[in-house]
Amino acid sequence: MLQLRTQKLQPYLLLLPALSILIAFLLFPLIWNIYLSVHDVSLTTILGGWKYVGIKNFSNLLYDPDFHKSLQVSLVFVGGSVAIQFFVGMVLAVVLNQEIRGSNTLRALFIIPWTVSAVITGFSFKFIFNDSFGVLNYGLGQMGLNPVAWLSDPGTVVWTLVIANMWHGTPFTVIFLTAGLFSINPLVYEAARIDGATKIKSFFYITLPLLRPFILINLILITMWSVNFFDLILVMTNGGPLFSSTTSSLYMYRQAFEFGLLSKGAAAGFIMIGINLILAFSYVRLFRRQ
Amino acid sequence: MSKSNSFRDYSFTEGSAGNMSYGYFSMNFKLILILGLILVILIAPSLTPFTIAQAQQPRQVTLTAIVAEPKDRWDTLFADALAKLRERHPDMTINIDYRVLPYADTRKQILTAMAGRTPIDLISVDQIWLGEFAQGKFLSDLSNLVQSWNRSSDWFKTNWDGGIYNGKVYGIWAWTDVRSMWYWKDLLNQSGVNPDSLKTWNGYIQAAKKMENSFKDKGIQPIHLVGASHSPDMWYPYLWMLGGKIVEQKSGHPQKGTYWFPAYNSTEGVKALEFLRDQVRAGIKPQITHFWGQEFADKKFAVMLEGSWLLGHFPRSEWKNLDKNVGMIPMFPVPKEGDASATMMGGWMLAIPETSSNKALSWELLTIMVQPDVLAPMLEKYGYLPTQKPIAEGTYSTQLNSTIPYYEQLISMLSMGHSRPSIAEYPQIADNIRQAIDEVYLGVKEPKQALDDAAKKSAQVLGWS
Repeated sequence: MLQLRTQKLQPYLLLLPALSILIAFLLFPLIWNIYLSVHDVSLTTILGGWKYVGIKNFSNLLYDPDFHKSLQVSLVFVGGSVAIQFFVGMVLAVVLNQEIRGSNTLRALFIIPWTVSAVITGFSFKFIFNDSFGVLNYGLGQMGLNPVAWLSDPGTVVWTLVIANMWHGTPFTVIFLTAGLFSINPLVYEAARIDGATKIKSFFYITLPLLRPFILINLILITMWSVNFFDLILVMTNGGPLFSSTTSSLYMYRQAFEFGLLSKGAAAGFIMIGINLILAFSYVRLFRRQ
Repeated sequence: MSKSNSFRDYSFTEGSAGNMSYGYFSMNFKLILILGLILVILIAPSLTPFTIAQAQQPRQVTLTAIVAEPKDRWDTLFADALAKLRERHPDMTINIDYRVLPYADTRKQILTAMAGRTPIDLISVDQIWLGEFAQGKFLSDLSNLVQSWNRSSDWFKTNWDGGIYNGKVYGIWAWTDVRSMWYWKDLLNQSGVNPDSLKTWNGYIQAAKKMENSFKDKGIQPIHLVGASHSPDMWYPYLWMLGGKIVEQKSGHPQKGTYWFPAYNSTEGVKALEFLRDQVRAGIKPQITHFWGQEFADKKFAVMLEGSWLLGHFPRSEWKNLDKNVGMIPMFPVPKEGDASATMMGGWMLAIPETSSNKALSWELLTIMVQPDVLAPMLEKYGYLPTQKPIAEGTYSTQLNSTIPYYEQLISMLSMGHSRPSIAEYPQIADNIRQAIDEVYLGVKEPKQALDDAAKKSAQVLGWS
């Protein structure tokens, strides 16, 4: 009897370590975040009584023009980053999948930007794009062109960040889609070729449909990362000028840690979880429909 | 069911194996018990003398501290102060375990540590953080200790007051810095600009125009204008010299009765911001990246308004003859000749967190660290300015004057020095002002509109709505 019970318990016991980690590092912070977001807690009141305020922090956010602006900036930053990273990553993955000499070496080289920390990437691009002393503007000057205010023009700055993020994030798409391309049986292409399919037709009718699960996961991941990405932006622009590069994640960080408004930051974080979930769900729905 | 059987059920499934494991366990248990007893018998006689010896040994105390970079200054200061503290307490073995963090991380780390009740004995506090830390009840009230210490009158009033929040002393301002005007003599000479012309707002702008033509395509910019996140710090001196204030006390606060209210959008504030706007209109580019004087030392700019720490970017071997190449005007430009100038003071305070488990000893260490004989050599080595009269005016001043370039002029600026409000909401207020400055730089709004909009936000932050 006891033996039977032990056997029944065994799978749960085996799951316990992983579940404990998930609860401690995922579920508990999430619940704690929700708890914070419905109280009025700042760094200066953290040791005092925490006043329950219901949805006040959320309503404050919804009426905060800076938060609205940050959502707009996020939309451009995430949209631009995902589109460019995915397009460039796909092109590179497909090109490197051809029988080209040195393609393995090139793949290895392409991983380098992804292994560099976002903070270092941020500093590097800050110097490249510096309005007065940057390499890029120096190059433009040498060609007789006018310098561009890469980091100080509110209309340009977000695209400068998209370029830096593209450099940093595209290698992941390359590697991920390359893994997907490796999983496609070469005989399928061979059969298509015998049936008279061109390379372009093979790409659209064989590669893309067979890569769909990889594309889906890749898009979900790079979208979520871009939504949550803030360290590179913090280093390069700190959200300026005029909030034109303050994404929602940076807004959340600044509220919580620069201004000490922990509850407002927590509420912004909760909204971001919602945004991430909606985006992931939309991708899944979109791909299922297709 | 016997006990042995029940154990067998948990361990192995079949009879013989179960018996074997039980026997194995039983044998192991006995072995451990015997070994344990032997260990106790062996150790027991030595325990009593050990305890007595331990009681005779000096008491071990390790003080912990979190301080802001650069590290060298703390190495020097802690080493000297610790030696003196140890001399005073021969019955104790005192050590200091201090962590030096980059400026940007220090506030966050200190707040996190104190909110988590981590026992820390000493911290370095930027003057603008004091209100926030004190309001959060993170700092020890030093008022009583200060009274018996009886050294408060040695401090310059502004510097002493900087450590007070709501009438209580929470920090001791150890050293300061002032912002002043630095210029390369040869560059001004080449472009035919008289350094004296930089003293007035109009002269400053005209000089920029003149130098712009002279330095075209040479990779040198005439005048540095801060466009980085601390841009408000470089606007305040203009506000102060005109008689304006950042915030002022006002009655009628919905919760607090009398409380701070934004005052920076006054006529003085608008006029001060108009001067920044005029600089941009004259072609001076706001610099969004700041290298804290390195850009000046690298000769990327001919004129720069920067803190006295700028000297640290020049090798100490060059300090003696620095005045031959680099000039310094101890002021911010003024609206017209004869007007009084102003500057901003920064620097570091020392404070004892509420969580300290060695408050008395930490206070003793703090007082030693700010003793003129301990502090003055460090100031001399790194070029910082004193907050105490015995160092600024006494015998130490001769020594500092012979080492730190332009020391006397920098010290003379202390009298026109102002400090930022040390209130918990200050970081958000500064962010509002920064936005107003950016709006003016980018031509989005006129100074008055930008400041009024910012002040509206600051009023909300301060709870006035």
